[in-house]
Amino acid sequence: MTRNRRWLSRFGAIIFALFLLAVWQILAALEVISPLFFPSPLRTLSELWSQITSGRIWTPFSSTVVRMVYGWLAASLLGVVLGALIAGSRFSKLLLTPMLEFIRPMPASAIIPVAILAFGLSNRMSTAVIAFGSIWPVLLAAIQGFSTVEPRLYEMADAMRMSAWDRFRKVSLPGAMPDILAGARVGLAVALILAVVTEMQASLPGLGQSILMAQRSFRTPELYAGVIMLGAIGFGASMLLQWVERRLLRWRSAQ
Amino acid sequence: MLHKDNCHTSSEVGHAVHDEPAIQVERLAMAFGEGPARRTIIDGLSLTVARGEFLCIVGASGCGKTTLLRLLAGLARPTEGRIDFHGKPVNGPSRERAIVFQDYGRALLPWRTVGGNIALALETCKVPKVEHAERVRQLAETMGLSHAVNHYPSQLSGGMQQRVQIARCLAQNPTLLLMDEPFGALDAITRQGLQDEVARLAQVHGTTVVFITHDLEEAIYLGDRVVVLAANPGRILRDIPVDVPRPRHQLTTREDQKFLALRHEIFGLLEGH
Amino acid sequence: MGKRWLGAVIPVGVLVSWEAAWHIENVRMESLSRPWDVGLALFHGLAGGEFLIATAETFQAALLGFAIAAVIGLVAGVVLGLLPWLESVVGPSIDAMRPVPSVALIPLTLMIFGFGVRMEAAVVAFACLWPILIVTISAVRGIDTALLNVARVLEMSTYERMVKIILPAALSRIAVGLQLALAISLVVAVTVEIVLNPRGLGHGMMSAQQAMRFDQMYAQLLWIGAVGWGLSYGSQVLLDRWSPACRADRAKERS
Repeated sequence: MTRNRRWLSRFGAIIFALFLLAVWQILAALEVISPLFFPSPLRTLSELWSQITSGRIWTPFSSTVVRMVYGWLAASLLGVVLGALIAGSRFSKLLLTPMLEFIRPMPASAIIPVAILAFGLSNRMSTAVIAFGSIWPVLLAAIQGFSTVEPRLYEMADAMRMSAWDRFRKVSLPGAMPDILAGARVGLAVALILAVVTEMQASLPGLGQSILMAQRSFRTPELYAGVIMLGAIGFGASMLLQWVERRLLRWRSAQ
Repeated sequence: MLHKDNCHTSSEVGHAVHDEPAIQVERLAMAFGEGPARRTIIDGLSLTVARGEFLCIVGASGCGKTTLLRLLAGLARPTEGRIDFHGKPVNGPSRERAIVFQDYGRALLPWRTVGGNIALALETCKVPKVEHAERVRQLAETMGLSHAVNHYPSQLSGGMQQRVQIARCLAQNPTLLLMDEPFGALDAITRQGLQDEVARLAQVHGTTVVFITHDLEEAIYLGDRVVVLAANPGRILRDIPVDVPRPRHQLTTREDQKFLALRHEIFGLLEGH
Repeated sequence: MGKRWLGAVIPVGVLVSWEAAWHIENVRMESLSRPWDVGLALFHGLAGGEFLIATAETFQAALLGFAIAAVIGLVAGVVLGLLPWLESVVGPSIDAMRPVPSVALIPLTLMIFGFGVRMEAAVVAFACLWPILIVTISAVRGIDTALLNVARVLEMSTYERMVKIILPAALSRIAVGLQLALAISLVVAVTVEIVLNPRGLGHGMMSAQQAMRFDQMYAQLLWIGAVGWGLSYGSQVLLDRWSPACRADRAKERS
């Protein structure tokens, strides 16, 4: 696309977004749609603005982010290590793959009642659920990735008498990285969802709890503000991972 | 096993006993499978390769050329017979025996640059880090890769990728260079250029080379000796010294009388099998 | 491959040792039910129809939401796929809404619809819309222009073009996207039920946990896992039977 057309489409995108907001604003002002359920963009944005400037939003915001990242990071590291171990042994693959295939489609949130039983309505429950949910995409992707490293490269490593650790660090891990990162991206999305769910469930501090409380007291602009912030977290996390991916996988796009 | 695990510097190559062969293969046999499905790839193969010799192996497909090379590299164990390298039995791979694979695209790390791939051998051979940059530069220059040092393999042509693989093998300072139809997938011009490169390098460093090819002209052009293998099972049909003068030239050598005579002879052998 | 049974070794081993441990007085834990009891609860739940009713409730909401998302996603996806300029204008707005975790909409839909099917279906629809939309756009984009030219030469009407050229050509990739969305619909439905909607499998599990009927809870967990697996396996079989081309697209989709 030529530069002019790119600017044109960017301009058009902004106009379109503003157009949507304008339509919503008008509909809300005219009370065609209930202002209780759909407060006008202006009210929502001013609520969001006041939350940001007064600093009220940051506690729940950071709680959710910390919760999400903590659980996701633990799960990802564990997933990579386990994935490497499982992929490395044909026996363990035979032993574990059917079980993993069974667990994969299960809704991670179904583990919540069990987790509440084990940990009560606490942060530990939340971390356990988040880790449980986000490990599967990473684990399965890691197994896939480690299993599909080009075998010729392993032969080359053997021919060069590489140490086992070097072999893992210089051949296996980089070879599996594209799959691992793809799995990690899914895992992060799952982590965010489970962070919100566990906050709602156990009334733990965070955006999940905030929006639920806002709903209970019918403070809708606050609810929307929280939803927007959650979207921002999702967006930011995804962008960050994509940036990491682009840097680590620079060799892939080089053509 | 050899007493040293590090890679040799080229000055050490000439110090060992000169009349001891580089490779001694005795009654080598290799079979796969059990019972009725047992296939014998190589049977009763004996071979000697002198130090610094450039040995070419030709044969039709299925004669076990690649298997033989992998056995020499130590990547596989023979079902019978033994292989001695510099007097000691081959029990596994060693950095002294560098192997250049035919499918170069799959033998290079796609996530490292050309320089990174060459450096891989240096890292593994425990060359001090401070020397890496210089050695990579030298090797890249030797193989004509100077302009591509920061490129990824996927950005290079087939010929360039094969050069990278050769450069990486050279970085190991091997005493034995094993090459498995390295130029088979390249165009004629690239092939000729690389043939001369490899011949020159082997000569300069005194490296023993075992070179597999299905191209009999290439075999005669490059080799001090050509071994013709027959198939089913793989065994030596003829062991022919190449009495063609060195240094060799792509045009004149190929028109040399002795060259042409050898060509006839080997062609006849291959046709009959 | 007679080694398949290896996959059952761990689950069976765990069950057997768990059951054995139950018979040792001091190893018993209140919250870890005896596998035998769990099995009984599972049997009674299924035989008595309780689980099946809950399953039907969950599926009702899941499929309703999936259908809504499919219709919107397919239509919008085809339109945006065929009109790249439109896609570049609308795209950024979509990218802004997409990262919002679907569960964040639970309080909002609760407020608008109250408890029940509609609220759950709305959340499911939001969650399923984006994958369907994106896969459809890319599938339509990937249609060979030669085929589109054929449509133009034959002077096909828009409807004809859609039905006879566009949809069939893009179908196998879209089908893979739909399969993914279907799995998502189940997961999201169960999640909404676990958080607060008093119907379906998720709610069944939560109320079992709260009523301290732990054997019931585990039985429901196993059943949810089985349902999830069954859905995934069943949709796989259907897809493979219908079009072997889907298998290739699925592999592409994963990469």
